[in-house]
Amino acid sequence: MAAGTSGLVAGALGLVGALARSVVPDVLYEPPRRFPVGRPADFPPGSVTFVSERRLFVFNTPTGFYVVSAVCTHLGCNVNHEPGRGFACPCHGSAFEEDGRVRKGPAAWPLPRFAVVLTRRGELVVDTRRTVGPDFRLRA
Amino acid sequence: MSDRRRPGGGSWPAPEGSALARLWRNRVVRSVFRVGWPRTRQDRLRAMLASLVLHLHPTRVRAHVLRPSTTLGLGLVSFYLFLVLTVSGLALMLYYVPHPDAAYRSMKDLEYAVTFGMFLRNAHRWAAHGMVAVVFLHLCRVFFTGAYKPPREFNWVVGVLLLLLTLALSFTGYLLPWDQLAFWAITVGTAIVAYFPVLGPQVRYLLLGGHEIGQAALLRFYVLHCLILPLAMACLVSLHFWRVRKDGGLGAPPGRLHRRVLAWPHLVFRELLVLLLVLVVVHACALLFDAPLEGIADATRTPNPAKAPWYFLGLQELVHYGAILGGVVVPFAIVLALLALPYLDRHPRGVGVWFAPERRLANSVFAALALAVVAVTVVGTFFRGANWAWVWPW
Repeated sequence: MAAGTSGLVAGALGLVGALARSVVPDVLYEPPRRFPVGRPADFPPGSVTFVSERRLFVFNTPTGFYVVSAVCTHLGCNVNHEPGRGFACPCHGSAFEEDGRVRKGPAAWPLPRFAVVLTRRGELVVDTRRTVGPDFRLRA
Repeated sequence: MSDRRRPGGGSWPAPEGSALARLWRNRVVRSVFRVGWPRTRQDRLRAMLASLVLHLHPTRVRAHVLRPSTTLGLGLVSFYLFLVLTVSGLALMLYYVPHPDAAYRSMKDLEYAVTFGMFLRNAHRWAAHGMVAVVFLHLCRVFFTGAYKPPREFNWVVGVLLLLLTLALSFTGYLLPWDQLAFWAITVGTAIVAYFPVLGPQVRYLLLGGHEIGQAALLRFYVLHCLILPLAMACLVSLHFWRVRKDGGLGAPPGRLHRRVLAWPHLVFRELLVLLLVLVVVHACALLFDAPLEGIADATRTPNPAKAPWYFLGLQELVHYGAILGGVVVPFAIVLALLALPYLDRHPRGVGVWFAPERRLANSVFAALALAVVAVTVVGTFFRGANWAWVWPW
């Protein structure tokens, strides 16, 4: 009797569990999180380029390339780059240093830097799933 | 009060006219309405029990219930606005396509290619904003009249859940136009969700159906807005109404003798009058003010300032001081305090009267909190400009 009831309850809970699991998507029809942004020659030396459709900045410095997210860590607005003064968020007034560190709140975390590699075909490929430290540079 | 009498009897007019007219009146009309137009006291009592809608009410009500100052009719107005929203929302659904490629075009179609389409959208939007405000005022009314005290504790909890559902419905609806206003309001709003400890990012992922606001998010918000949340709302509203009856009707000061009057016609016709007033006000607002629609959603261009829907601007103002404070601590504290309130406040006195002297402390604390909510909302709405810097609205 008890075993039978437990079986029924377990079966019923299984249905609920399957329903709950099904609403968590496994396949995302989103832009890929690893993507090419162009060739090194597209980014002149010393330049900072806002790649608007990817919401990130590509820096080409004398020591190499690096990529900084343009998505404010506070509430997700796009920050604007002000040369020499870092980044400013239009939504809630957060400000970041040139290297992504927070200069002024309300943002609590620095703008993340994404890994960037140079493929054999000569393209810069950014992987937004991998963040890197402030010393990261890509020689290209 | 028994309802054993079969339909028919003294309240039906004597049959007259052609055979067809008699057939219509004697067979069809009687089969639908069960009782005729109530003229005698007996029929007026019976009418309240014989109809599905009317039987939500008692047959007789305390006279003080009918005074507008008792409740200001705020719960009733919320319910009527929900009905307006349901009907106008169903009509909007006939034109709206929940896909990023089509949603914004549906808005333009409603504006330019559908007769009264803009009017429909205006009515839906202003009724929604109105419902958020009226539900908040209803909460204040129930507090200031001490109407959450035993035996009404649980109905207060249901009411708090209804307030949260109202906010959730409004928030999910905000994304659907797929314009810049919608996109960035939901960007900011769901980013606040991600601040919730432990499960915040997972809840955001589940809500958006992914990492960003795209096709999956729009479809999820659409289904939540048009089906899941309204169904939950309908269930909880039914429970709310049922408990009002079962908990003894509206709160009233104990010990006083209460004159009772017949619900038909005194209560029923006042309720119809409130319905007409709500419809007229929604109609007027829809004629006078157009619902905003900005450019199509563009993830690469952030407007400055980017604001959440107005009822979350208080939160956004707090989030400006600190994300954990505004996004987690304050909202959680408010909701928990509201849910726990009827179980913590054991003082039995001061039910059914506004601002009872015995409740001066409770009323003062609540009034201060309610004013604080209004104040930060007003600041976030009118006093914040580009970069969330302080601006004067004039």
